[in-house]
Order: sequence, then C-alpha cells, then structure tokens
Amino acid sequence: MSKPTKPLWQTPWGYAESFVIAFGLLLIGFLLEFTIQSNSGVSIKYPMNLILGAIFITFILVFYRLIRKSNLYHFLSGVPASVGAIAVLTLLVIIMGITPQVSMQEENLITRLSLNQLTTSWPFLFINLYLLVVLALVIVRKSFPFRLKNWGFVCSHLGLWITIFAAGLGSGDLMRLKMDLYTNKTEWKAYDNNGNYYELPLAIKLNDFLIEEFNPKLAVVENESGKLYEATKPSMIMIEDELECTLHDWNIKIDDFLVSSGRVGEKYHQMYDFGAAPAAKVSVAVNSSDTLSGWISCGSFNRPHESLKLDDNYSLLMTVPEPKKFSSKVTIFTPDGQKEEQVLEVNKPQSVNGWKIYQLSYDEKMGKYSNLSVVEVVKDPWQVYVYIGIFMMMIGAIYMFWRGNKVTISSEQ
Amino acid sequence: MIWNYFLMAAGVSSASWILSALIPKKDFIRNLLVLIGILSMAVYIGFLWNSLERPPLRTLGETRLWYSLFISIIGLITYYRWRYLWMLYYCLFMSLLFLFINYMHPENFSKTLMPALQSPWFVPHVVVYIISYAFLAASSLVAIYGLYQVKRERFDEKYMLVADNLVYLGFAFLTFGLLFGALWAKEAWGHYWTWDPKETWAFITWMGYLVYIHRRYQKPRKYVSALWILALAFVILLVCWFGVNYLPSAQFSVHTYSMQP
Repeated sequence: MSKPTKPLWQTPWGYAESFVIAFGLLLIGFLLEFTIQSNSGVSIKYPMNLILGAIFITFILVFYRLIRKSNLYHFLSGVPASVGAIAVLTLLVIIMGITPQVSMQEENLITRLSLNQLTTSWPFLFINLYLLVVLALVIVRKSFPFRLKNWGFVCSHLGLWITIFAAGLGSGDLMRLKMDLYTNKTEWKAYDNNGNYYELPLAIKLNDFLIEEFNPKLAVVENESGKLYEATKPSMIMIEDELECTLHDWNIKIDDFLVSSGRVGEKYHQMYDFGAAPAAKVSVAVNSSDTLSGWISCGSFNRPHESLKLDDNYSLLMTVPEPKKFSSKVTIFTPDGQKEEQVLEVNKPQSVNGWKIYQLSYDEKMGKYSNLSVVEVVKDPWQVYVYIGIFMMMIGAIYMFWRGNKVTISSEQ
Repeated sequence: MIWNYFLMAAGVSSASWILSALIPKKDFIRNLLVLIGILSMAVYIGFLWNSLERPPLRTLGETRLWYSLFISIIGLITYYRWRYLWMLYYCLFMSLLFLFINYMHPENFSKTLMPALQSPWFVPHVVVYIISYAFLAASSLVAIYGLYQVKRERFDEKYMLVADNLVYLGFAFLTFGLLFGALWAKEAWGHYWTWDPKETWAFITWMGYLVYIHRRYQKPRKYVSALWILALAFVILLVCWFGVNYLPSAQFSVHTYSMQP
C-alpha cells in the first residue's frame, strides 16, 4: 500500500496542504482571540455589513481573475480544500456542541479563547470566510462553462453559499427584543437581553390573555423528600371524569372532578373566581377492605394545594396543569395611525411594519390568571435572502434523492 | 392499555421477524412474515396516535417506535432492490433492539404536548429525520460489514455502491430535516438558527456525511478511508440523537422535552 509521499507544498496540493491551511487559519484566529479579544457586543450593522459584503464579493471575483490559471485555483476549487475547510469548521462546532455557549464572568483559558462564545470569535469568522472563498471558487468552476447536467450541484452549493453569506451579514441587523404586555395597557418599548430599551415603530395593547390547560395529573410523592415516586411507569395519569386507574399499586377512582373550584368547609365547590383551582375527590383502595377517600387540589397562586396521605411513606397529589395553548388578544398601533386587532399565539406570529411578533411566555406563577404576556418582536431584513438559499438547498436535496449515487462515479484525479 | 397493546404489537413483530430468520429459504413466506411484523408496528403506532390525540413523536420512546418501523421497512426495500439478505436481518435486528429498549424503559406515554410543539412543522420535521437516521444507520452497517470484508480481503466494490446510495438518500432527508427545523424555528422562536446544542450536533452530523460524500466523489477507489469516515459519522449521529442530553451544553437546549415533569 505504501507509496512515496509527496513533500509538503509541492504541487499539486492535496489533503496535507488543505489541512495545514485550515488549521493554520484556526491557530491564527485563536492567537488573535487570545491577544485582542473580539468584542461580542459589537456587531456590524447596516450599511457597514452591506459594504463589507460587496467588498468580499469583489475580492472573490478579483482573486478568481488573478489565480484562475494557476495551480492555486485548482487546489482551492477542489475537493481536498473543501474537505479541509469542512473538517476544521466541524471541529470548531464540536467544541461548541460540548461546552455551554453562555457568557461567563471569570477570566480563564476558556473565556480568553472565547470557547464559550465561539460564534462571535475570530477563528469562527476566519474559517467561515475561508469556507465561503473555497465554496465560491467551487461554484465558479462548475458554472463556467455552464453545463445543464451540473445544475443540481450548482443549486445546492450556491444555496449553501447564499445561506451562510446572508445569515452572517444579516446577524448584525437582526433585532430580537422582548416586550412585557400587561392587560389593558399599551406598550411601545422593547428590551434586549442586556436590558437596553428601544422604542419601536409600533405599539401593542394587550386586550386579553388566554390560556387553555390540559387536565392536571395524578402523581404519588414520597412524604419525606417530596420527590416524585416512579416505581412503575407511567408515574403520572391525567385526571378525567369518572376515571378508574392503577397508579403503582394503588387503585384510584375519581369520584368528582372540578376544573375550577374552591374549598368551602368540608368539600370543594365549583367556582370561577380569581384564583379558582382544579380539585378532585378520589377514592383509593388501600387493601381489599379499606378505602381511603378525600379531596386533592393542585392549588393556585392564592389557594393552598391539598394532597391525600396514602400511608406513612407516600401521598397522592394533583400536579399543576400544563398549558395546552396560550394566546394574547392585542390591538397593534402603527405611527401612520393604523390599528389592527390580532391574536398572537405560539407558532403563529404576526407581521406588522417589518416586525414579526411572537407569543413568548407569561407569568407562570400566576398560571391562567396571569395578566402579563411576554412577546418577542423580531426584525430580520436579511431573512428573505437566507430563505432563497435554504430553498435552493432543498431543491439540491431533492435532486440528490432522485439521482442517488450515480453522480459520484467520476474518474480518479 | 397503551402498554398492554405495546406488548402485544411488539410480541407479534418479534415473533414474526424471528420466525422469518428461521426460514430463510422460503422467499415468499419469509417476506410475508417480515411484512406482518411491520404492519403490526404500523397498526400500533396508528393506535397510539389515535389514543394520545397527538402524533406520537415527542418522547425518545415514541421516536424509537417510529425508528423500528422505518428501519424494518427500509430493510425490506433494500432487500428488494439489492438482494442482500444480511441487510434485511440486520435491519430487523436493529428494530427488535429498539423494541426491546422500549420494553426495558417504558416512557410516560403522556397526552400533553407543549404549545411550542403544536405546529404543522412537527410531523414532517421529525419523520424526515427518522427516515434519514434509518438510511444512515443502514449505511453504517454496510460500512462495518465492508471494513470486515476488507480485513478478510474479500471486499467487493458493490458494497460501496450500496453505501453511497444509502448515504445519498439519507443525506437528502437529513438536509430536509435540518432545513424544516430552521423554517419551523423561525415560526416558533423567532430565529431560524440559534446554535441550540441539538441544532449544533445536527449540523455536525450533516458535516460528517458531507465529508464522506466529498471524499467518495474525489477518490472513489479509496474506499477504506471512506468506510472509516462513514462509521465515524454514525457515532456523531448517535451523539446528536441521544448523547446531547448528557453533554454539559444541553442544559440550555430547547430540545430536551423529556426533562420537564
């Protein structure tokens, strides 16, 4: 199998040179990061990103004109260079996949090398730029002269290029802000993760906040530790009217289930006041003759919860219901005097004046009585270009699915 | 109920698949048995979907069910196309393994589905991934088998064609899974890519198979290194699939649903 190995940097360049270049860029990036740390708070915004993008494209075109007849062009637009760039980017992303990507206060090697914030670091930028150059030259090589049989190749590669390019440049213009809406109040200020406030070209009035909940579940906890008892699965069973079930070794029957209730004296009654909580009357067969019976309730922010002691070690309780659906009825005002009624719901954002508005969360302690609705407002002017790239990649994927491996059989270079 | 029916369906599948391995000579009966096993899984998943009132794609246990369904289907299809009996049995074995894991670790088959997951993107996103994973798992089996044959010096180039085809199909689905996820994320969370740990690992997986494809494209005759790349890419896929939850980065993930009570 052994064949004489080619000295490094002797043409034609192959995998060795490719990896040396890619790792070299990585090393320079980390050295730069170590000496002058990239400031992750600074992002390149319009019109600077547009100018830099134009310069970058011009650079690639000029670079191509200069090197198109050289061995360098053949190397940079070839597979080994691509594999080197992909492999080193993958390595960087693996680091990103293992270490938590959150800002940290303390000064150590991880923070000095920005291993906790790799997406805004020099090495990440360098590798991505290198990848974009290589990918651009690959596309140029396959496109000129254009052959129809290469369309799938060009489509997927150009799609990827556009996606990386537009997502990278657009990240500076991306604004993701949060707004706290309170019932019957109008809000026009939004804040970012660092607590800076922005005035928006729109105002939102929260008319109503609605939550639909699933029924609460039955669960058994250990009296001493309060921990969920999970001897057998399922360890929780959703409560329904007249449910009869076996939870672990206990046979449980739901005699009465009230979705919204309050305790008066010895028992719970149906109630719909502020803070009313679900409750259920349960019977538990402890052994063949004895039956335990009593009320349980998960309570709410102003009602106590109530559980049923099964024996010295275990108690039966009702879990806090999980939300099925939550939505905000809002009126949105824009500076031109327009107003529109909208419903914001998870997975159903609304677009107004170039901003997309998302239902995000609410006051979870208050549950369905929350008068706070948190929405996210997002402006991403580059999104459409990223989507063009994504759809081109999808077309490329369909092409790939259709053709299978027939395209791989090319002669050894 | 759900659990008892699972035991029944898994029992029928296991029995018919094991039986099919015992009579490899009778083509028709064997294929019929394999098909019965697949149908039994399909019916159970349909029943589960119906009784949970949501697509059963949320917990690991539920996705394992789909996985064992799809990998057995793909095993059968690959057998029809390429006539590799060993591939069929490996696929059935994998399917049984996943059913067995489900038997050992019954999950909460819970009815609740958090609002973020209630989206028309949910089913295509996960199903496309599961199909992709099944293709890629099958390709890695070819890789391991290929490496074994290389060692025995009985390697045949035909294996590479099978591996390539499986990777191409799997990679196409993987790309769709990734991009559907991005489009969905934009609708649900406001951004198409946030370097969430699961996203990061899905991206790494994608890159791993990208390396394989490029390597094969350039040097079709250097199959040993390609086979190793393929085997390694599957390790990354496994990390992405269930390893992520155990990594230090996972505490900030939006993809860890099973942790919530």
